[in-house]
Amino acid sequence: MKQRQSVEKILVPFKSVPDPNDNAVAGATASTPKSVINPFDEIAIEEALRIRERGEATEIVGVTVGAPAVDEQARAALAMGVDRAIRIDDSRALDPYAVARILRTLIEKEAPHVVIMGKQAVDDDSNQVGQMLAGLLGWPQATFVSKIEFLDNKTRAQCTRETDDGLEVIAIELPAIITTDLRLNEPRYVSLPGLIKAHRKPIEILTCEQLGVTVRPLTTILFASRPPKRAAGTRVDSVEELIAKLRQEAKVL
Amino acid sequence: MDFAWSDQQRELLDAVGRFASQQLNYNVIENDRDSVFNHDAWKKCGGFGIQGLPVPAEYGGLGMDPLTTVAALERLGYACKDNGLLFSINAHMWTAIIPVLYNGSEMQKKKYLPGLCNGTLIGGNAMSEPNSGSDAFSLATTAIKKGSNYVLNGSKIFVTNGPVADVLVVFATLDKARGPYGICAFLVEKDSPGLNVARKLEKMGVRTSPMAEVFFEDCEVPEENFLGKEGAGSFMFTNSMTWERGCILASAVGSMQRLLETSIRYAKERRQFGQSIGKFQRVADKIVDMKLRVESARHMLYHCAWLRGQRKQVYVEAAMAKLHISDCWVKCCEDAIQIRGGYGYMTEYEVERELRDAIGSKLYSGTSEIQRSLIASLLGL
Amino acid sequence: MAETLVLIEHDRQQAKRPSLHAITLAQRLGGEYALLVLGHGLDEIAASLVSYGACAVVVADDPLLAEPLADRYATVVAEAARKHGAKTLLGTSSTFSKDVLPRAAALLDAPMVTDVVAIEAMDGSILYRRPINAGSMLATVKVEGDRRVLTVRATAFEAPAANAAPCHTERFTFDAASLPDGMQLISREQRASNRPDLTEARVVVGGGRPLKDKETFERLVGGLADALGGAVGATRAAVDAGMAPNDYQVGQTGKIVAPELYIALGISGAVQHLAGIKDSRIIVAINKDPDAPIFQMATYGLVGDLHQLVPQLIESIRRG
Repeated sequence: MKQRQSVEKILVPFKSVPDPNDNAVAGATASTPKSVINPFDEIAIEEALRIRERGEATEIVGVTVGAPAVDEQARAALAMGVDRAIRIDDSRALDPYAVARILRTLIEKEAPHVVIMGKQAVDDDSNQVGQMLAGLLGWPQATFVSKIEFLDNKTRAQCTRETDDGLEVIAIELPAIITTDLRLNEPRYVSLPGLIKAHRKPIEILTCEQLGVTVRPLTTILFASRPPKRAAGTRVDSVEELIAKLRQEAKVL
Repeated sequence: MDFAWSDQQRELLDAVGRFASQQLNYNVIENDRDSVFNHDAWKKCGGFGIQGLPVPAEYGGLGMDPLTTVAALERLGYACKDNGLLFSINAHMWTAIIPVLYNGSEMQKKKYLPGLCNGTLIGGNAMSEPNSGSDAFSLATTAIKKGSNYVLNGSKIFVTNGPVADVLVVFATLDKARGPYGICAFLVEKDSPGLNVARKLEKMGVRTSPMAEVFFEDCEVPEENFLGKEGAGSFMFTNSMTWERGCILASAVGSMQRLLETSIRYAKERRQFGQSIGKFQRVADKIVDMKLRVESARHMLYHCAWLRGQRKQVYVEAAMAKLHISDCWVKCCEDAIQIRGGYGYMTEYEVERELRDAIGSKLYSGTSEIQRSLIASLLGL
Repeated sequence: MAETLVLIEHDRQQAKRPSLHAITLAQRLGGEYALLVLGHGLDEIAASLVSYGACAVVVADDPLLAEPLADRYATVVAEAARKHGAKTLLGTSSTFSKDVLPRAAALLDAPMVTDVVAIEAMDGSILYRRPINAGSMLATVKVEGDRRVLTVRATAFEAPAANAAPCHTERFTFDAASLPDGMQLISREQRASNRPDLTEARVVVGGGRPLKDKETFERLVGGLADALGGAVGATRAAVDAGMAPNDYQVGQTGKIVAPELYIALGISGAVQHLAGIKDSRIIVAINKDPDAPIFQMATYGLVGDLHQLVPQLIESIRRG
């Protein structure tokens, strides 16, 4: 029987993505496109922080895979309050399975009791890494989670999941992989004192070589293009006109 | 002069922008209409680190240099639409924090600065009186030493943050005959005996920033709350006014940037007579003028802050910045309304409020006329 | 042996129709394909799947599979794929397939492509097109390796025809003792509804934050949907505000719909929501802000107060 008093170590993998809220007008500003922590991963970090604040965890480790530029997001994670931040140095364009295989070795090294991460990255929208990690490690998984509670002396977690048919509650044994959905929490913002303190905390840099993992991405994006835009339609001035158009023109009523 | 931001500055500015756009932009139209001060937003700003930006870490601030401070306030103005909240924060920073920081005893600094920095204390400043506005040093509020207290008598008007302040920096005179040299300042805590914060004043703009008349009727202030040295009151005031002039409109530059961007977007999307209105020269010209104003305002703001960081005197630069930025802001708001036509007049579009907020900037911290007067005298005329 | 294995989802009563759309991709890929169902008490469901042109309907029927727990399901799915020598494992995007298939992919040491909307052949290999960045871009993806796992967007592929000569069903046996058991179902919401399924409905009415509260949302959005015999959707903001349950959410991280008619009530048109509706044939937007981005892509736009206009609309439709 597993005996545990606290969840001890929580590992939070996070990804640096282009800011989805950045709608800067070209030419009006000289700013460069901004990167942020993937919103779903921010929710994961926030949840880990709350678990620690409740006294149910002692250490939170954030980990990201990427080029030196993503140290900015690692610092943001430290500024939010994670205890340690690790960047696995890899500047290649990776795919979810490559990321999962790299993270697996880090997880085996760090041996956390639970991994909490975003369900999907808002740039790639794949929604695969968490589940793949669970498969590689042979751990239970709870995906698209909107509530987490620990049971049985923190040997299990009860998770509410948001599915196509509504809410579902499952119980999973730890260690496990939990992926977060939007309504799990609202993340705290990075404060300036937090950001300044974060600059004094080191970011641990590891390489795939040090972790003993050699992978290459098996899927490659050859190119991306804008899908054809819908043509703008027409304005109607009244309910009657709308119904007439839907009936006669669009033939949908 | 190199305004290229370091990585650390850039991260800081981005954090300010994100914080402000996500946390401070709720209920602005309603709060403006009902003249409601957003206490919650104030506290969040304190926890985030805004109020303490220029204050050394040992007193609870972030110890940022002047240029970084104004850049952060500019970004705040860009991302936060509540100009009233920002006006209250600025008044608090330049008229309460700066006087205590530069003139306070160690005891006073340790007592007030941490709370003033972290959002738990709200500061204000009581200088103007019904009969002394531009002619500040002709104030009539008296201070008389009685035992271990000072007793204040008089009235102050246009006290920003008055209704919500925990501590006010109050200027009074120990001896009217000594003119400016008789002026002194006190830290007066709310609920002091004889302190009467009267009715809230209704304003044209920055309505979410509370303002009141304040009356001192034998108001007792303990002697340890005397601020700075005797005879140095007017110098303290001039010093904090110079800070204020150079910095109070930093967020206005950010607001102008936002008006520029939203006006560009509007001009591209709004179509009349078969084309986007931005293609009409009369509309495009207004936007070009807005762009010129934003750039020149920003340069003046940064230059003044940079000089201050170099420990240079900035009397004329601060006055120029205040004068020019306020002019630019008002004109940008007018253009922003004009570009939007009838929609610009509607409360929902949030540009008419910007104009109402902006007009105050030509009046507070010294009217535009006073700024001109100052610059003229500093030019030796 | 089948080159392609298609995972079919069901609700314990019948196969879920959108999950059948993956069969259409299997047909386009060419070669033989088999259908796979997991669960308990599957005879009727299996029988309903025999006419989709598959070479077999593979049935993993066991009390241990009564609930779709990802660890068990992925193990069985991966074993079935291995046993059948499948090169491609397919499913239709849903919270079920997203839960199970990536885990199965890892067990198969295979990469995975989510939300395929189209394929094209190039130099003898197949390229997959999928939306990224909340659907603002379409990426063309190349996949290497012997095996791959894919999910398809139901709205991007038509329903397959059920007119082939029936194939056989075969029982898939596995070692029950080898199934992981670290996961357990505690409870599941059961909400009965007279309305059609959101992802299958011909008409969908979506509501946003301006609907104020749950009661108004149901009265106006639900009322209009009922007048049209349609389904109800919601923006993330409306769900966050408690006006609608999570499974009504339409958008980048919710459901993708492509009905004949989508009516957006009080929806401004944030990119994340548009991602979920842009393939609708006709989009109608009712919003009081004439500059709301949704008017850029709506077939018909009506500017005005939905609290006045929607009751009028419901009334006019009921009058016929």
